[in-house]
Amino acid sequence: MSPSTPQSATSTVEVDSVVTLNDVSVHYPVKEGLLQRVSGYVRAVDGVDLTIPRGQTLGLVGESGCGKTTLGRVVAGLVPATGGDIWFGLSAQQHAHMNRIRQIEPSERSAEDRALWSELEANHRLGSMSKQRYRDYRRNCQVVFQDSFASLNPRQLVRDIVGRPLRVHGEVSGTDVDQRVIELLERVGLGPQHLLRYPHQFSGGQRQRISIARALALNPEFVILDEPTSALDVSVQAQILNLLVDLQRDLGLTYLFITHDLGVVQHMADQIAVMYLGQIAEHGPTDQVFFDPLHPYSRILRDSNPSLEDEEAVDRWELSGTVPNPINPPRGCRLHPRCPVATEACGWSVTDALDHIESHAPAVFESIDSVARSSDFAATIAMGSDDDAHSFVAQLNAAPFHSAMTAPAITNGKVVSLSFVEVDDAQLLPIRDLRSSACLRTQHEGFLPRQ
Amino acid sequence: MSDNWLLSVENLGVRFHSPRGTSQAVDGVSFEMKPHETLALVGETGCGKSVTARSILRLVAEPPGEYSSGSIQLRNEDGSTTDILSAPEKVVRSIRGNRISMIFQDPGKALNPALTVGRQVAEVFGEHRLDMVLEKAGVSRARASRTIVQIAQQRAGWLASRVVGLLRRQDVRAVRRALDDEVASALADTGIANPRKIMASYPHELSGGMKQRVMIAQALACDPDLLVADEPTTALDVTIQARILKLIQGLQERRGTAILYITHDLSLVKEFADRVAVMYAGRIVEMGRSEDVLRSPQHPYTQGLLAAIPRADTPRGELEAIPGSVPQLIDAPLQCHFATRCAFASAVCREKIPVQTALGGDHSAACFRHNSAEELNVAASDMPLAASATGETQR
Repeated sequence: MSPSTPQSATSTVEVDSVVTLNDVSVHYPVKEGLLQRVSGYVRAVDGVDLTIPRGQTLGLVGESGCGKTTLGRVVAGLVPATGGDIWFGLSAQQHAHMNRIRQIEPSERSAEDRALWSELEANHRLGSMSKQRYRDYRRNCQVVFQDSFASLNPRQLVRDIVGRPLRVHGEVSGTDVDQRVIELLERVGLGPQHLLRYPHQFSGGQRQRISIARALALNPEFVILDEPTSALDVSVQAQILNLLVDLQRDLGLTYLFITHDLGVVQHMADQIAVMYLGQIAEHGPTDQVFFDPLHPYSRILRDSNPSLEDEEAVDRWELSGTVPNPINPPRGCRLHPRCPVATEACGWSVTDALDHIESHAPAVFESIDSVARSSDFAATIAMGSDDDAHSFVAQLNAAPFHSAMTAPAITNGKVVSLSFVEVDDAQLLPIRDLRSSACLRTQHEGFLPRQ
Repeated sequence: MSDNWLLSVENLGVRFHSPRGTSQAVDGVSFEMKPHETLALVGETGCGKSVTARSILRLVAEPPGEYSSGSIQLRNEDGSTTDILSAPEKVVRSIRGNRISMIFQDPGKALNPALTVGRQVAEVFGEHRLDMVLEKAGVSRARASRTIVQIAQQRAGWLASRVVGLLRRQDVRAVRRALDDEVASALADTGIANPRKIMASYPHELSGGMKQRVMIAQALACDPDLLVADEPTTALDVTIQARILKLIQGLQERRGTAILYITHDLSLVKEFADRVAVMYAGRIVEMGRSEDVLRSPQHPYTQGLLAAIPRADTPRGELEAIPGSVPQLIDAPLQCHFATRCAFASAVCREKIPVQTALGGDHSAACFRHNSAEELNVAASDMPLAASATGETQR
């Protein structure tokens, strides 16, 4: 099965969504030199499509530096997105409309569609919604942060910390605040005796309970949990996870659960999205992603995760190399330089060739004089001497990606010209029911390729 | 127990003095390690596992720390033993990094940010393998001046090394080259692809996984008999963790190093360790072969810890959390420290300290549920529900 239309992966969802992300990016400028000229962008989040369905838990997993926390902050409105749209509170029908109209060029939209679109934008799109709606959004979308030391003001009493959102939004005032705070504390398993204490007087688990109470103060419908238990011991983690599940059941909350712990996400999430280097690699129902991953990276994550289950350690996939530079991420599929099942069609480029030489033949790498790129996929490389040019070519021909190149030619004695098959950047595409993957091979073959 | 141990920790007690009182961080910890085996020391934050690990190298700062009791015996090659806690500082220095070495939790903090990786790893060779380095450099010990020795040990001052570098250029170069070769091969051993380039870089230029490899290279440079690994993969991502564990395991197989593996993650124990000791509030509560302890835990704390880990088949929201939190150890009462959180706790648990009770097959637990009222000389009504009554023991 190979999907031919570049259809958004989110369009298959037929439930109300709390938040919908369309092609959201966060690019941080890298400034250099005396004049602080912008020399590039760190692509922390790069073109993410994601729908968070109402009443469910979406798990967002990935390794450090993959952009999962940044994505969470974008959804919370703490970091502005540099590209793409964030929609809040779309019903299933509105969602379908939004997806349909989005495909049409603005100049070709009918008057009816235009009216619908501007109404959607005014009520649901972050950035263009009215002030009142934005206040609604901020109320309804709360965050529990990872580090409860850093996220609770050490100079404020629990009463002030938990009561602050109530005062800011003018919910209650005066002595009623204390009453409400006590209710909230009891909700999360603390008591009225904790009202007049400072954060340092609590253990890690209790502090995380205070964070949760603060997040719940305004009766939100959506809570972003950014690694809420990774600083806690397992016995306390279990208490907090149970509490979160109880709260979700009783209050009908929607969670975005950001974590690097696969055991926890498997336990908590209905759906998971696996992130790698700023993009979603795979998205689908939790059990399916675990037992039948459709992206090599999901499989590697699962295989690397130590577990107590009595399974036989057979055919574990491993990740090689190190995380590539997010300023200049690999072309094609972002995983390909480290992927155990990469083929010539996965997007090899000049950067990969140079990285390969640098790690496998440092001496040859040192002798490179200059590199002139005509694109990411083609370059001419001037070497120090004729011999170096020959060993450079020999190294490339022995590299695992040699079939992705047209044979490197030596011109003018010591100048090597390289060119690779040009591949479009991988996108998250639906593979089958509710499942989508950004693996180019899976998209082509319909299942995860074998090693 | 058998007599072929490499390291024997007997009744180790470490306490810390503070203005708020004295805290017994490690309280009567005893275990033995055989050559080539891997023992995992598991426990939660503040249970004393890291202090135990540091005590083995006598790295606990005195004051505020104090070794209040016990001994740590290391067996030498000739069969004699050295007590690390009472040995002179010079002897301990010759053991650290040579016979026992340590990998720390956060490689970013444990490496010196002001020195290149090459120089830091070279320090180990200069300290413990000076003769070998001089021999490889072709400089006899007699001919080597004090400054050349200092250069080999990375201790020479800038001026002295310049002057000697001019006067005896060949010797100095040979020593430096010999050191570099040793360092490069040590780094290459840990799977670093281009060691010469890594040697010239500073720690901040390397990724977390790479820094941990450098630490491992440094720790294993002198082929130690025992490697103390204090949460070596906690700061790393799972994919990197898998590779680092595989690396440590491979090196252990090749060199036959014994490993004391400190971790808070029970799921690592299954694949990685031969035996496991579970610590709680400064005491070892259960010890045995990994598969025995994981399959049939005998201490309520170990049982709780295992049940708290989410598994594929646990219904959501029904994790069995251990109620309460770890007790304060400052001036702690003489009782089972787990009694405040234990579902089985009874009168005797609040009056006496349980001792390790052998359960057969190297498995032991410190819980009164495995003792009888007669053994303890208390009334039967004070005893907790016996483990045999619930069918938990007797494999």
